[in-house]
Amino acid sequence: MSEAVIFLLMVGIFAILAMILKLPIGVSLAISALAGALLGGKGLALRHLVEGSFGYFETILIILAAMIFMKVLQASGILDSITALMLKTFYRKKLPLLLTVMVLIMFPGMITGSSTAAVLTTGVLVAPVLIRLGLSKVKAAALIAMGAILGMIAPPVNILVMIMGAGVDMPYVGLTLPLLIIVVPLALVISLWLGYKDIKIIRYDEMKSILPESVFSLFGFRLYLPLVVVLVLMLSQSLLADIMPDIGIPAIFMLGSLVGLFCGRPFHFLKITQEAVKEAMPILSILVGVGMFIQIMTLTGGRGWAVISFLSLPPVLLYLGIGISMPLFGAVSAYGSASILGVPFILALINKNAIITASALSAIAGLGDLMPPTALAGMFAAQVIGEKNYFKVLRYCIVPAFFLLFVGIGVLLLAPILDKFI
Amino acid sequence: MKKHQATAFLLLLLAALVCFFAGREFLTMHEEEAVYPSPHLTIKKRLSDYFPGLKNSPGDSSVYIFEGQKMGGTLLILGGTHPNEPAGFITAVLLVENLEVTQGKVIIVPRANNSGFMHSDPQEGNPQRYSLSTPGGPRWFRYGSRLTNPIHQWPDSVLYVNPAGQKLSGTESRNLNRSYPGRKHGKLTEKIAYAIMQVIDNEKADLAVDLHEAAPEYPVINAIVFHENSAELAAVTLMTLQMEGVDIRLEASPPNLRGLSHREWGDFAKTRAVLLETANTSHGRLKGRPSATLIINGKDKNYMKAAQLGLLFVPFDEDGISLKQRVSRHLASLRALVSGLHELHPDLCIQLDNLPNPIEVQKVGIGPYLTPSK
Repeated sequence: MSEAVIFLLMVGIFAILAMILKLPIGVSLAISALAGALLGGKGLALRHLVEGSFGYFETILIILAAMIFMKVLQASGILDSITALMLKTFYRKKLPLLLTVMVLIMFPGMITGSSTAAVLTTGVLVAPVLIRLGLSKVKAAALIAMGAILGMIAPPVNILVMIMGAGVDMPYVGLTLPLLIIVVPLALVISLWLGYKDIKIIRYDEMKSILPESVFSLFGFRLYLPLVVVLVLMLSQSLLADIMPDIGIPAIFMLGSLVGLFCGRPFHFLKITQEAVKEAMPILSILVGVGMFIQIMTLTGGRGWAVISFLSLPPVLLYLGIGISMPLFGAVSAYGSASILGVPFILALINKNAIITASALSAIAGLGDLMPPTALAGMFAAQVIGEKNYFKVLRYCIVPAFFLLFVGIGVLLLAPILDKFI
Repeated sequence: MKKHQATAFLLLLLAALVCFFAGREFLTMHEEEAVYPSPHLTIKKRLSDYFPGLKNSPGDSSVYIFEGQKMGGTLLILGGTHPNEPAGFITAVLLVENLEVTQGKVIIVPRANNSGFMHSDPQEGNPQRYSLSTPGGPRWFRYGSRLTNPIHQWPDSVLYVNPAGQKLSGTESRNLNRSYPGRKHGKLTEKIAYAIMQVIDNEKADLAVDLHEAAPEYPVINAIVFHENSAELAAVTLMTLQMEGVDIRLEASPPNLRGLSHREWGDFAKTRAVLLETANTSHGRLKGRPSATLIINGKDKNYMKAAQLGLLFVPFDEDGISLKQRVSRHLASLRALVSGLHELHPDLCIQLDNLPNPIEVQKVGIGPYLTPSK
C-alpha cells in the first residue's frame, strides 16, 4: 500500500471515530495511528506509539503545571484581586486598555518563545477584565490566542527561527528588526479588530457593580508573589540563561503554585491539583494521540510524502504552498512545522535574505498553534475562559489569522526590497 | 466491583502492559554493539581518563589509541558526535578494527556522544539498529539520536547559551556539536565536549577530524569544513581528492557560528580542526519510510523527486547514496588529510597501515573489513 493511501486511510479512520462515533479526539487519534501501523505492515508498533507520544512530554508537563497554577490563582483570590485592579485602572480607557492587554499577553511569549506560556500566565489575568468590560468570552479567548502567537513570534526570543536557523546554520543574530516589522502592526490591528467594537466605556458605578471581590486589603502585595515568582524565573531563564539553573517551565509553575498556598485565601491544594488534572486531561490525551499519529505517519512514509508534495508545487504556487502547509503542519505543533517544513522552504527560497525569510516563515508557522487538533494557543485560550468548544474561538481567529498570513507572505514577497533597509 | 472501577482497573492493566513491553524495547538501546579492535591497538582508554567528571556517566565512552614506533603527528578522529549519522560512526569502527599505525599516533572515539546512542528521536520513526553483512555473518550497529538522551540530561531550558556564548534553542543544549569548548561543571553534553577538549589538549592532537553526515537538502554537504588554521591543509586535501575523482568542496568555518567542533577546537585547543560531511537520506526531512535498508542503501524516491526539483545540494538518482559510498568518502578524505599534513609538515607524518582502501570499500562493501562476530 502506498504512503499516500495509508495516510489518507489514517485520516479517514480518525474522522469516522471522532466525528461519527464521537469518540474523544485523543482516543480517535491513537486508534487511527494503530490502524496506520497495521495497514503499513508494522504490526502493533508499540515502541513507536509510545515514542511518538513522548514528543509532547515537555508540553504535557507544562500544561499540567500551568493548569495547577491557574487554579491556585483562582482559589486564592489572586485572580479576582488583579482583575479588580485592572478594571479600576482601565474602565474608561478603551484604546490604552486594548494595547496594554495586547502587550501583557505578548510579553511572556516574547520572553519564552512559547504561546502556551503566554496564554497560561498573563492570558489568564486579562481574560476576566476583557469579559467584564463587554467582550464576549470567545472573542476574549481569540484575542488572547492571537496575542500569544504574536508574542511567540516577537523578539527577543523566537524559538521557531532558532529551530529553522539550526537547520541551515544561520545564527540567531539580526532578527529583531524583521520580526518587529511583522509583529508591531499586527499587534495593533488585531487588538483593535477583535476588541475595539465590543469593549465598553462604563461609568464608575457600573464598574463598581461588576468589580470582583478583591482580597488585596487582607493580604497586600503578598498576593502578587506567585506571579512575580513565575515571571522572574521565566525571564531569568531567558535573560540570564548563562547563569540561571535550568529548572524548566513546569517546575517554575509548580513553584509559583506552592508560593500561592501562602499568599491569599486558604484552599485545599490537593483538591485543586485534582481539578486541574481533570480539566487538562482532554487536551493532554489529544497531545498523546497526535504524537502517536505523527510517529506512525512518519514510519509509514506519510510525512515524507506530504512534505515532498508541498515542495513539488510549481514556483508560482510555492507561496500558496507555504501559506497552506505551514499552518496545517502546525497541527503537529508550530515548532514541528518550523523544523519539518520551515527548513526546506528557507532552502527553496535561498536566493532571498535568510533572516527575512526565516522571520516571515516563523510568523506563518506560528499560526499552527491555532490548528486543531492540538491548537495549543487556541485550546488553552478556550480553556482559560471556560469554553469547551474550541471551534467557537477559532471562528474569531480566522480574520486575524489571515492578517498574519498576508503579512508573512507579503514579507516573503517583498524580501528583496526589505533587504535594502535591514 | 462497580463498572467504572472495573474499566479503570482494565485501563491501568493495559497501561502497565504497554509500559512493560515498550520499556523493554527502549532498554535494548542501552545495549552497545561489539567492536573488535585491531591487534595493533596500543591502548584502550575512556573519556573519563581525560576528564574524571564523566566517570560512571552515560557520557563516558571508549577511546582507542594506536601509537607507532616512530615519532610523528597526532590525529584525533571522532565518530558518533551525532548517532543518527552512521557513516561517521562506521568509519571510526572500521578504523579501530583494521588500523595499524607505524608512525605517529591516532586516537579514535567512535561513540563521541555515547548517550545519544541510547535513544531514538520521537516522531522520526527510525529503527533502533541496522545490520551489515560480514563474511562471518551479520553484525548489528546502533542507530541513535542527534541529541543526548533526555533521560540523562533534562529538562531542556527555553534558551541555551552555549559555552562559546551563542544563543540557541533549548534542545541544542543536548547537541554535542553546539557545546564546545564544553564546561567542566556543566550539563552532561557540555562535560562530554569538555572531555574531548581534554583529549585534544593532553594528547597534543595536531589534527582533529569530526566525522558527520547531513541531509541531502542541507547546503554544507560532501564537504570539508575547516577552521582558518587548517585552510592550507584543506586546500591540499581538496586537490588530492579531486585527483582521485572524489567530488568534494571546501567550506570555511563561519567565525560567528559558535560551539561547533570546527570552530572551537581551532580557537581553544589550537589544533587543526576539520569536519567532514557526507549525504545521508535517513535523517533528512524528506525521507520516505525510515528503515535499516534506507540507512544502508540510501535509496529514496522522495529524494529523487527533490533532486529533479533542484532542491538538493548533491546529485541523487535511483541508485541512492549508500552507506558504503559515504564511508568510502570519509576514508578517502581522512587519507588525503593525513597525506596533506605530511606534505605541509614533514615532522607530523602519520603512517596509517591497513587503512581500508576507499575504492575497495565502495566496490565490495563495508562487511569484508569488519571482524566477524565473536
